[in-house]
Amino acid sequence: MTVAAGLGYALIALGPAFSLFAGVVARKPFLVLTLLSSTLFWLISLIVLSGIWRGFLPIKSGTWWAYAILIITSVALQEGTRLVFWRLYKKMEEMLDAFADRISKPRLSLTDKMLISLAGGLGHGVAHAVFFCLSLLTPAFGRATFYVERCSKMPFFLASALIALGFLVIHTFSMIIAFNAYDEKKKCDQIVVPVVHLAAAVMTLVNLAPGGCLIGTPLLLVMAALTLQYCWRVACRRLTEHQHRQLNNN
Amino acid sequence: MDPAAASPAPAPAAEEPRSDASLLDALGGEVLAVMSPVSICMALVVLLISLLSPPSSGSAAGGSPPPVTAATLVYLESPTDTPAQKFVGALLDAAVFVALVAVVTFVLVALYYYRCTGFLKNYMRFSAFFVIFSMGGAIAAAVLRRLAAPLDAPTAFLLLFNGAAVGVLSVFASAVPILVRQGYMVALAVIVAAWLSRLPEWTTWIMLVALALYDLVAVLAPRGPLRMLVELASSRDDELPALVYESRPTVGPATSSSSYASAMGSVEMQTMADSGRVGGSRYDRVEQDEDASSAVVEMRDLGRGRSNIGETNRSGGSVLPVTSTDLPSNQIGSSQHAVIQIEQSEEAETAPLVSAASSNNAASDEEQRQSSSSEPMDFEMFESTRGIKLGLGDFVFYSVLVGRAAMYDLMTVYACYLGIIAGLGCTLILLSICRHALPALPISIMLGVTFYFLTRLLMEPFVVGASTNLVMF
Repeated sequence: MTVAAGLGYALIALGPAFSLFAGVVARKPFLVLTLLSSTLFWLISLIVLSGIWRGFLPIKSGTWWAYAILIITSVALQEGTRLVFWRLYKKMEEMLDAFADRISKPRLSLTDKMLISLAGGLGHGVAHAVFFCLSLLTPAFGRATFYVERCSKMPFFLASALIALGFLVIHTFSMIIAFNAYDEKKKCDQIVVPVVHLAAAVMTLVNLAPGGCLIGTPLLLVMAALTLQYCWRVACRRLTEHQHRQLNNN
Repeated sequence: MDPAAASPAPAPAAEEPRSDASLLDALGGEVLAVMSPVSICMALVVLLISLLSPPSSGSAAGGSPPPVTAATLVYLESPTDTPAQKFVGALLDAAVFVALVAVVTFVLVALYYYRCTGFLKNYMRFSAFFVIFSMGGAIAAAVLRRLAAPLDAPTAFLLLFNGAAVGVLSVFASAVPILVRQGYMVALAVIVAAWLSRLPEWTTWIMLVALALYDLVAVLAPRGPLRMLVELASSRDDELPALVYESRPTVGPATSSSSYASAMGSVEMQTMADSGRVGGSRYDRVEQDEDASSAVVEMRDLGRGRSNIGETNRSGGSVLPVTSTDLPSNQIGSSQHAVIQIEQSEEAETAPLVSAASSNNAASDEEQRQSSSSEPMDFEMFESTRGIKLGLGDFVFYSVLVGRAAMYDLMTVYACYLGIIAGLGCTLILLSICRHALPALPISIMLGVTFYFLTRLLMEPFVVGASTNLVMF
């Protein structure tokens, strides 16, 4: 496709990520480092996953249940990675708090912690978008574009960009929900995050059916919007509770 | 000024931190100041390579055969060889290259020992000019040809000559803005890396691994050339005769009360980079005796000097600003114009990204800074804190790795980029723990190479298979 179209697709997939990065993450160097390390984690989990599955490839496209198993294992592994990331973050938080005490600066506030989880989620989302969407875009510059048989009404790259956008939003904001849930030890939120991830991934299975991408992609974006709304509720609630507690203390 | 206000006492309402006093704001700034030029350099090299029609792996491109260089003296890879032949040939090439680099480094050490610094400096100037003018000119010509952009020869010559001249000035003179100098450093690294990535594939990978191992030995072994050079330089309190990228953040007077600036240890990663001579004038038939670079990471455990830029500007053209801040902590700078305050940071710390001074040191920093700021100065006073210095050879070889990954796919580029950045971060952390010279190449190159092969062999069929069916997770 032309450079303009390619740039357009790339911006569809990564535009919100750029705005989040420029507006929030780039202002604090620590958040940029958090983003880079969470991207690294996601990459390592993907490499481990592909190591496990390498023997079974290539999967014939008729067998949708093979894809289902693939998705279940991938989501399980990624949620495990999220937990590991959380543990590491806790250790980092202790070190940072000790450091702050030593140089007599205020400790990490709630906003700081939420910003760190936002950066972590953004790292996951950006890694997903780059590996699943951008890596197919850039070799395809040139004449003509690409359509998949099963998705003949929508250009392939548009579908993949929209799906990447949906997953970016889901990854970013479910990380905030997850970190909050682990912090407050709320079981229901802890369950919500893997469930949402699994549901979204299973929804992309719909794309395997002929004409399925016309249904699957909007549904995925709806899921992304739901995640966004849920995260908004969680964050609002937590922040107002925190403020009330502070007012009560002072 | 009120010393109480200047002391880093905690804000009274610790429950409600103001956003400017947050811990997140100040941590990691120096690390990022090194990682961004590395990332920019890698991005530019990837762009250049993808623009200039990358040769597909294994076949000589329709345009240029691979250059005859020191790295292909023994064996020139051709696509018809068997993998075993390629492997053995590449090993021989890499061995010869590393031997050449070692010999040249020893010669450099000998010259430095016998104080031929004039010769060394002039040689550095010559190589900087040469790289920008000749190699950079060839790359510019190739880009212009590719983009079919019209530019006549006299204009091109004039622009190139001026660019190269300013480059030489900025690399070695002191009165050049730091941004210009940083830009030229990155440009030098981009040119050398773009040139080096034209080596054949197997040779490139094995050469990278061999250089990483050489770097490890050269910096850590007791008789390693780079270690000797670093010790010589520090015993003379002089700067290394090398091309080094400095990321000097300047802290303005308004924000000087945030004492994180004083909480940095000085970290230097130094290298020698110089390029060789050119036999012909064509881009594709160049004889090059490339002595690249091995990177050294060194931490001066004696703290950093803080000097006023006004002072360094007036201290004469031949004294590089870095020299004035290089003095070990027990000396006070002998300039007549201002006082160089040199504080000592004793603890190196378990702080994750930054080594911190203890709080009583920080308090004394504040007082000293207050006293120095009360002296009348002609122009605005900025305190320059020592940022991290990274050798140009690191830039070059990271970019060569990423450039070679770019010739395969964007996925490998991203994976190698993350591997290199992770290695760089690990090296910086290691540096703050063991306070002596450390090589910066090995961890990053090993991680980068590992990620490249893992991605290419394992991840790519998996991800491409899934995403072309629009199944994503």
